[in-house]
Amino acid sequence: MSDNHADSVVQLLNVSKGFTRGAQEIPVLTNTTLHIPRGDFVAVMGPSGSGKSTLLNLCAGLDRPTTGKIIVNGQDLGALSEAKLSKWRSENLGFVFQMFNLMPVLSAQENVELPLMLTPLSRAERRKQAETSLRIVGLADRADHYPRQLSGGQEQRVAIARALANDPVLLLADEPTGNLDATSAQEVLDLLDSLNEQFGTTVIMVTHDPKAARRAKRMLHLEKGTFVQTDIDELEADFQKVAR
Amino acid sequence: MIKYLPLIIRNVFRNKIRSLFTGASIAVSLFLVVMLYSFLTVQDEMTEATKIYNRLIVMNVQGLTGNVPIAYVDRILRIEGVKSATPFSWFGGKYRDDKIPFGQFGVDAESVSEVYPDYEIPPDQLKAWQADKTGCVVGAVIARNKGWKIGSKIPLKGDIYPVNLELTVRGIYDGPSTTDREMLWFHFEYLDEALKALNDPSAGNSGIVVLEAKSASMMPELSKIIDSTFASSDAPVRAMTEKQFQQSFMEMMGNVRGFIRYTSIAVVVALLCVAANTMAMSLRERTREIALFKAIGFPQSTILGLFLSEAVVIGLLGGIMGAFGAKLLFSVVDFSKIIPGLAWLYVPWSTALAGVALATGIGLVSGIIPAYRAANVSVIEGLRKVV
Repeated sequence: MSDNHADSVVQLLNVSKGFTRGAQEIPVLTNTTLHIPRGDFVAVMGPSGSGKSTLLNLCAGLDRPTTGKIIVNGQDLGALSEAKLSKWRSENLGFVFQMFNLMPVLSAQENVELPLMLTPLSRAERRKQAETSLRIVGLADRADHYPRQLSGGQEQRVAIARALANDPVLLLADEPTGNLDATSAQEVLDLLDSLNEQFGTTVIMVTHDPKAARRAKRMLHLEKGTFVQTDIDELEADFQKVAR
Repeated sequence: MIKYLPLIIRNVFRNKIRSLFTGASIAVSLFLVVMLYSFLTVQDEMTEATKIYNRLIVMNVQGLTGNVPIAYVDRILRIEGVKSATPFSWFGGKYRDDKIPFGQFGVDAESVSEVYPDYEIPPDQLKAWQADKTGCVVGAVIARNKGWKIGSKIPLKGDIYPVNLELTVRGIYDGPSTTDREMLWFHFEYLDEALKALNDPSAGNSGIVVLEAKSASMMPELSKIIDSTFASSDAPVRAMTEKQFQQSFMEMMGNVRGFIRYTSIAVVVALLCVAANTMAMSLRERTREIALFKAIGFPQSTILGLFLSEAVVIGLLGGIMGAFGAKLLFSVVDFSKIIPGLAWLYVPWSTALAGVALATGIGLVSGIIPAYRAANVSVIEGLRKVV
């Protein structure tokens, strides 16, 4: 990691996070420091319970660290109230989830427009921007389709279009291929790749799949709340064994 | 919140069956409440409308179970300030196969149209009635429902009194909606003579006496004079306005207003539970969606507003269906044909609108707790939830 972190989109400075279960304190992240430069595409891997999702939640301001500081796009998240954090998220972040999380009562177009409802854009402007996002993910012709009329891969691409709609500086993807078949997973990874390459969007992707992780510019491996060095080939071999 | 309206409407209808049942339960209950309240409102309206006719009712102090001697009518007429007076005696006879007797009253054919100018009898028909002791006049609604015309014969079999009356329709009265157009008026003398012929103890007595005062300002004083004039007699009376009479009549049937009010409160509470349950179920099913909204930056206040708006829309729709449905039904269907005596009942706009407002309020209140819980859903827990 570089010593010059001026261009870091995400900075975790000595961050620890633990959860209390009854009288027991369970550490999830331990004294973690991380810098992710603008335009990076980072895959975060690790076994279940290693702290991957917690890391993502902390970067998104959905959770607060027990100790340490998190700065995203120059903003110290600890300094923001819940209301200001919501506004900040709507302006800076895009989310892609394993379960897609599309609104079943809204069409693809309307789902993509959802984050734009929080902006002062007019209805026509929102529509136009949503169309652009759908065009980027190759689903302009499915704008009027409802989630139930789309395949899993298409749903995830709509979710990515929704994440892109407000032109975020940081895209957080939590197991984006976890619910997809191999072909759809490839399409989604291609899309994340091209967003990162063409638009310079910084992507942090949590995944269990080493194949997906290989598509990132770099990979971080979390174990028991600490980043460790691992061999991705070894991980892939293990993953294949589990998959079989 | 307006820009979220399409989303709110779609969420309301996402589970159509549930929304339908919730809306229907609100609608049916509102229908009932609006109908019950219309009963009170219209009665109040009718009583208010009669104020301008300066009528006083003279009733035995024992209430409607007691009588007013017919001789009192002349004595009342001699009191300064009394313009006109008529006996008004409930006959309660049975007409053919009718299960419920309609309003049949023995009155003074000469003075009743002076006391009741709002009940309009064509002059030639009034004269014909006055000239025929066995004649009667009937309201336009009951005449239509029973198929009575001028000259129709109406046999009434005595139930309270041991006499039967054979009446001939000589006139049909009409009037504004605040009048009761389901009554039959006949000559008091006809009944009284029949009773006298049988030496019946009720002969020479009227149920009540209705008088017209010369002015509204004289009515309080007139009431006192009438009360005191007959205070030491065998049949002391109490004079009261039509409004007071209406109230005492209602009290005789029990605390009708209280009954309607408490029934309505019970209905509202039941509705609150139904609507709140619907919203709570909706919240449980959509925890992930709510978490997503929060994750992508929707503030708590907007989520609170979205859920409250959904509850309000459900209440509003149920209210519109129930309250306006009742209004429409009473406008289209003539209930006097089904339940005699209900021709006067209709749903005033004010009551229908109050019903819609009530349903909207129920929706709002039922949504408070679910909306508050929705606004406070943990994003992390919510996104993890698999429904």
